[in-house]
Amino acid sequence: MLPVIVVHGGAGHIPRERSEKSMSGVCYAARAGYSLLQGGASSMDAVVEAVIQMENDPHFNAGRGSVLNVKGDVEMDALVMDGKTLASGAVSAVRNIANPVQLARLVMDKTSHACLTAEGASKFARAVGIPEVSQESLITEYARMRWTKNLAPDANPVESQMGKMGTVGAVAVDREGNIACATSTGGMLNKMEGRVGDTPCIGSGGYADNQTGAVSTTGHGEAIMKVTLARLILFHMEQGQTVEAASDVGLAYMKSRVGGLGGVVTVDPQGGWGARFNS
Amino acid sequence: MSAVIVVHGGAWAIPDELAQASVDGVKSAACQGFSVLKGGGSALDAVEAAVRMMEDNTVFNAGHGATLNNNGDVELDAIIMDGKTLACGAVSSVKNIANPVSLARAVMDKTSHVMLTGSGANQFAESMGVETVPTDALVTEYERKEWEKAHDTVGAVALDCTGNVACATSTGGIRNKKIGRVGDSPVIGSGGYADNFSGAVSCTGHGESILKVTLARLIVSHIEQGKSVSDASQLSLQYMGERVHGAGGSIVVSPSGQWAATFTTERMAWAAAQQDELWYGLEPSQRNKDCIFTVVFKVKIHSNMTPEGQTT
Repeated sequence: MLPVIVVHGGAGHIPRERSEKSMSGVCYAARAGYSLLQGGASSMDAVVEAVIQMENDPHFNAGRGSVLNVKGDVEMDALVMDGKTLASGAVSAVRNIANPVQLARLVMDKTSHACLTAEGASKFARAVGIPEVSQESLITEYARMRWTKNLAPDANPVESQMGKMGTVGAVAVDREGNIACATSTGGMLNKMEGRVGDTPCIGSGGYADNQTGAVSTTGHGEAIMKVTLARLILFHMEQGQTVEAASDVGLAYMKSRVGGLGGVVTVDPQGGWGARFNS
Repeated sequence: MSAVIVVHGGAWAIPDELAQASVDGVKSAACQGFSVLKGGGSALDAVEAAVRMMEDNTVFNAGHGATLNNNGDVELDAIIMDGKTLACGAVSSVKNIANPVSLARAVMDKTSHVMLTGSGANQFAESMGVETVPTDALVTEYERKEWEKAHDTVGAVALDCTGNVACATSTGGIRNKKIGRVGDSPVIGSGGYADNFSGAVSCTGHGESILKVTLARLIVSHIEQGKSVSDASQLSLQYMGERVHGAGGSIVVSPSGQWAATFTTERMAWAAAQQDELWYGLEPSQRNKDCIFTVVFKVKIHSNMTPEGQTT
């Protein structure tokens, strides 16, 4: 059953005219990650590659194509985690870079820290030679249109909320049995400046452990954090539940306890996988 | 319901010259929080009051005693969580705020978000009218001299008389950290977690290790599996030691009023107040008891003598 990679391009109400492009984007990303795995690459390399492909694809809410905050700027969050060592790297509220997931991996590989935020993350990016890109290059016409629409006095925040969940992520198991996860997002439409969601928070946006499996989450960030969704699903797997049952139980609990919707991709060490959502 | 509050002042190799002041500091913070609970206040109000008191105390590494990053700035992280609703508020890398825990509370109460970071958090503080303090006022003389020593975090967990639990954790992070480093403290499930169905936890110690095992959530999951608060804490800290070689400490309170203060570091200053008794300790397996009224009386004398309200 190994290797395996599962990717998601966000849960939520995906408008019909965009759903086709989302589908081809996740397929492309899964193929990119899978061909690395087939060539013997690590699960970490594969999830990062898959997420980079989706960050570069303007149809997802990550990297180019990210939603805009209340001031009209792009601020992004990303997380990677290595199931062998439990090492993780994250960046939050980072600006002016094309691939936050790559920077998150560098935080893991090149620093003694697990998370760098805001200006500190940008400073680190410069120090390790990541090229700075303009805000404009990350902003799509579609993102700006939705931002403007939501600034209008008669905007319906609930409806705009529903379209926002385009966080991307991937989980993989490689031939050696090592497991990894990666998640990346532009966050929530018209969020406050400096808002950090679930994505860069270990245990919420993702978690990976060679002994249990890996999860990458998407959906209503504040709800995901309240139940630490990724860790919750893995606790259920530790208790003997299957990938699908654990994912469904975790999502159902989030809905009943805090009224939040979302989706997850999950793998176990044997290569069993699931892609579940209740949005 | 028997109200209880447990506080910690960080788990690390606390040097002898700080030992007495640390113990005095956690004792008065526990009394402060307990008086909120006794007056019918909520667990949330109690943990906020206790943590604020430690943030104001220069012996601890939060608020006024916070550590400098490698740019010479003070960056603070804090979290607060309500076990009733699972609502949570956090700030990371916020600068020049005297009481980060209260800013975290404002994020929870006044925004639809859970966490704000960096200058966005400072802008929010400004919009809320939270008083800022210059960096100089936040960095104490002791800090300036003792850069290289590792320092840690403060936290509190409480159960109020209506059965609600809450946790709060606040920190200035590790010394000479990289600018913008976020540790475990503001991350839900790592620095703290609170759920009325299972209990509340606040963690301290090696932040990156705590994140790797999501220590607070791990302890809560053991309680959910039927473990006692002290077994759950010990198992989880032991797991963190074995799996990722990290040391730390935790305080836990259960919905039935059981509590524990556990650590695998050399020392952790902690105190717990319940039924007019005050328990406290610093060394492993040390567990002293005072009558709470004696301590409150002493704290009052101290604060009369030192206008800053320090107990040193």
